[in-house]
Amino acid sequence: MDATLLAQGALNGIMLGISYALVALGLSLIFGIMRIVNFAHGEMFMLGGYITYYLFGVYGVNYFATLVIAVLIIGLLGMILEKAIFRPLTNRPEAALTSLIAAVGLAWVFQMLAMIFFGEQDKDIPTVFKGIIRFGGMMITWERFAAILIGIGLVLLLNLFLLKTKFGKAIRAVAEDKEAAALQGIQVARISSLSFGIGTGLAAAAGAIIAPIFIVSPSMGGEVILKAFLVVILGGMGSIPGAMLGGLVLGFLESYGGLFFSVPVMSVMTFTLIILILIVRPQGLLGRE
Amino acid sequence: MMKYIAYGGLLSLLFLIPFITQQEYVIHILCLIGINVIFACSLNAILNIGELNLAQSAFMGIGAYASTVMVMRLHLSFWIAMPLAMLVTSIVSLLIGFLTLRFKGAYFLLFTFLFAELMRVLLSNFGVGLFGGIPGLTNIPKPSIHIGNLVNVDFSSKVAFYYLVVGLVVFTIIVLRRVDKSRIGMIFTAIRQSDVLVESIGISTMKFKVLGCAIGCLFAGLSGSLYAHFVGIITPGDFAIHSVFAPIAYVVVGGIGNVFGPVIGATVLMVLSNFFLRQFGFFELLLYGIIIVLIIRFMPEGIISAPRLLFSRMRKP
Repeated sequence: MDATLLAQGALNGIMLGISYALVALGLSLIFGIMRIVNFAHGEMFMLGGYITYYLFGVYGVNYFATLVIAVLIIGLLGMILEKAIFRPLTNRPEAALTSLIAAVGLAWVFQMLAMIFFGEQDKDIPTVFKGIIRFGGMMITWERFAAILIGIGLVLLLNLFLLKTKFGKAIRAVAEDKEAAALQGIQVARISSLSFGIGTGLAAAAGAIIAPIFIVSPSMGGEVILKAFLVVILGGMGSIPGAMLGGLVLGFLESYGGLFFSVPVMSVMTFTLIILILIVRPQGLLGRE
Repeated sequence: MMKYIAYGGLLSLLFLIPFITQQEYVIHILCLIGINVIFACSLNAILNIGELNLAQSAFMGIGAYASTVMVMRLHLSFWIAMPLAMLVTSIVSLLIGFLTLRFKGAYFLLFTFLFAELMRVLLSNFGVGLFGGIPGLTNIPKPSIHIGNLVNVDFSSKVAFYYLVVGLVVFTIIVLRRVDKSRIGMIFTAIRQSDVLVESIGISTMKFKVLGCAIGCLFAGLSGSLYAHFVGIITPGDFAIHSVFAPIAYVVVGGIGNVFGPVIGATVLMVLSNFFLRQFGFFELLLYGIIIVLIIRFMPEGIISAPRLLFSRMRKP
């Protein structure tokens, strides 16, 4: 095992980790505000991928414009879902269970809609950024490097938004204590709508970033939601640094694990690791009690 | 009194169906509906303690594989293998419950999601000699009863299997209803409504949740065992995560927490899907998803609550 291969693995791990973190961040944000586990979150990632396929791949719209449009459309979709389905459920008894079931149902609906309208076949998106960067002995395609850069950019932007802007501060206040935030004059309903939109928008962005590197398929949401859940378990529900750390840990595990172990062995090892973490630190690596 | 007449009428109708219709296809579907009713009941038993178990199909798979392996590899009789498979499933769920039921809601769901995936991977890749790998196990023998020359029932006949399924559905409902009406059942309902409150009066919710999970999974094992011996082929894919979605729809449509909810939901949806919607492919599955979302949004107690809702609306001016 030489150093180049290890470095190559690290780069791949970072790329996977950032995309997982983006999806997990949205999941975590929505959970923090509404105490809802949006099981349909992976489907937002999938729809982001399909929007990229159609706008950029088929109609030749500029890639960055496509990215923005995907975030806006899916963000809006998230806000509609929040208003029409999730918010009414959170005001009723047994809200956790019913909203979970509704989310599972929604995931199912979007997956089937994708099957019906986009077809069962995998779709390939043309390369966005062509060429290869050589650096020392290792290589990385521009495409993957750009994905890392855009991903980091989005995470920084989110962080800045949450820390510096009025809306961001309001979101953090509501996540901390809903009643106290409402007493301060923060409109909780508007904030939950906004964070749902941001959360689903982030998933769509991750989809738009990852789709050109791999492929787009109706079932891609189900695969990525599993990864996002793992990230959230690793990092702790509701923690942004936790989601970043969890994403990177999982990305590295997959990237290096793929070099040394077969897929089934990897699955068993990941599962065991998650059980151990849950038993030792049920609140996640960086999560609070 | 009226209640017993209704039950009696329903049972005699179920008994008479094979005399009314001679079509093998209809009996076949009815058997599948019965197996799904038992499975939906087990899913409902877990929902009754306030948790959604995405690995319920995996537990059905454990029952199916345990029963099949005992019959095909250990050459046990089906009548011994079936209860043992139920027990094995329940014991596995007990272990999983101890590990995971400390985590509520979201974490439990994530964990069961992972467990379902793990089961699929394990059954596909490990112990291929025992479990048959990805192609699974085929030619699973049908059960039969031979007692001297007096009783000779071969369950490869669909009608005979139908009566077996009906009997076990009735058994499942009776057991779960007894549990539901008992003190334990009341505690389950209380936990679903507010586990913090239950904990505050000194009842260990953890203990009762594990118990609820184990009771529910007994019947997941039963449905798995029946499924394996009825269909004759089982593969790891049959019990993967996606196979739990339709049963969730059955329970939600019928009514969560009510013992008869999943029975009604599974029957209504499966009759619709098998006799009317089969040709619509993905649209049928899409419809399931839409039904789950709409029912949970507008009628969270399922269609079993429809008459009550209707009456209370009529009483209002």
